[in-house]
Amino acid sequence: MKALSPNKGLPVFLVFFLALAALPLLGVEGYRLRLLTLLFLWVSLAGCWNFMSGYTGYIDFGPVAYFGTGAYATAVLMIRFDLHFASALALSGLICAPLAALVGGATLRIRGAYFAIATFAAAEALKQVTLEGDRVAGFEFFGGSHGLTLPAAPDSEFFYYLLLGFMVLVIGITHFLEKTKFGYGLKAIRESEQAAELSGVPTFKLKMRAYVLSSSLIGCLGGIEAYWLTYIIPDDVFNVMRTIQMVIMTLLGGMGTVWGPVIGAGFLTLVGEFLGAKFVYDYLTILGVVIVVVILILPRGIMSLMKGRRGETV
Amino acid sequence: MSLLECRQVTKRFGALEAVRRFSFSLEKGEILGLIGPNGSGKTTLFNVLVGIHRPDEGEVVFRGESISGLAPHRICRRGMAKASQTIRPFQEMSVLENLLVPGMYGGKLGLKQARERAAAVLNLLGLEDRGRVPSGKISLAERRQLELGRVLMTGAELLLLDEIMAGLNPAEVERALGLLEKIRGEGKTIILVEHVMQAVMKISERLVVLNHGERIAEGKPEEVARNPEVIQAYLGRPYA
Repeated sequence: MKALSPNKGLPVFLVFFLALAALPLLGVEGYRLRLLTLLFLWVSLAGCWNFMSGYTGYIDFGPVAYFGTGAYATAVLMIRFDLHFASALALSGLICAPLAALVGGATLRIRGAYFAIATFAAAEALKQVTLEGDRVAGFEFFGGSHGLTLPAAPDSEFFYYLLLGFMVLVIGITHFLEKTKFGYGLKAIRESEQAAELSGVPTFKLKMRAYVLSSSLIGCLGGIEAYWLTYIIPDDVFNVMRTIQMVIMTLLGGMGTVWGPVIGAGFLTLVGEFLGAKFVYDYLTILGVVIVVVILILPRGIMSLMKGRRGETV
Repeated sequence: MSLLECRQVTKRFGALEAVRRFSFSLEKGEILGLIGPNGSGKTTLFNVLVGIHRPDEGEVVFRGESISGLAPHRICRRGMAKASQTIRPFQEMSVLENLLVPGMYGGKLGLKQARERAAAVLNLLGLEDRGRVPSGKISLAERRQLELGRVLMTGAELLLLDEIMAGLNPAEVERALGLLEKIRGEGKTIILVEHVMQAVMKISERLVVLNHGERIAEGKPEEVARNPEVIQAYLGRPYA
């Protein structure tokens, strides 16, 4: 993508970012503000998934494990330990790191469908912990299927700016991957893990780093959503649909690219909202057709429309 | 002290002993040719040396330290690198980026230094105008050169070259031999597995012949070529 190559892209990005930051001041509010906030959330989620799975080629099918864990960690820390949101959120990210290291340590040695299945299973297992943990252990902690209610949240603008900042962070990290040693190492793993290893790339260590970083950030996003919605239940925050949505958004936009998840999440969220308003009952069917058509026409994502996207800009 | 020493190395796959109690040593600056029929254990031996396989018995000593059981990337960073016709390049990356990865990781260079060394290596390989081309779009001969470039970028002092001339035409083989001479001139040590006999005979100082995982002969190329057992097992007719 020439127009947004590392050096020329920065001014474009800054203007874009400042414009978004100015929107609430220009009177954007209510539904539109919430829609944009939701969009930032999805861009961030898809972006986190992308810099793990898109760059290493390891298809993580359980990112929602950390989304749910983060949501529950934030809720529990705020309700049961009376922590402030900021510290609860930071701790939620920190809790996800060792958890991801544990899951990653067991699964990042297996590739392909097996990695996807193992991560999917990990997410389902964690959902069961929040769902049945209280009953099994005989205490009141996660609230079971009734979920948890968090303290009242600040206004919409708070979440707008928080998630805008988060989105910029995730795009920044991915941007950093494009032309740095770490990013080249991850891409080498995706292209040929054996050649990478034989070139001196500590493949397992790099995968772990990407996975733990991605998972911790997804955990924070879960915490933010929990506080935003003020009410969480296991079936929602651990819902496999969230995983699928991250995957589809990234696929639509283009895996392993900086702007793929942004475009994919933007496209899916906005088209979904538009169709949802126009065709209240059939919009999911139509959305499904749209996704299939885009992927058939552009199997490598919308980003592949931009010429010379890969391997030319050194 | 030898640069590399194999001590009684055995590697089995189930009941098959691909390499059997194999020992040899290699001095710094040598070019050693490793020959033998298909399935004689040459590639397995290479894979044991670079850490893809762990030896079932015996030990590999590199620069005076045992490296048996180390991960391939560690062995690469210690200075032993393998090039092989079967290794795919990083297809979605340009030729230059393909060289940056081994430069930064195996060679422990910063991005800027890696670019400088990559420019030098591209020059040496005669690929200086191919740097920006996606590596999925280069010719077979260029791919072999790139693979050689990949191991050069790691800065390894011992290069294991596994059939990097396979499928090249005579002119390309000549060019490759010229390259190897240049690389040797830079103080590298090389072990060469090759079926292109004319090339192996010409450049190797010493040959080791493998058959069924065992060493059946060793010596100067012209001696080995006259060895009846080698002729029987591999060459088919006297070569030299």
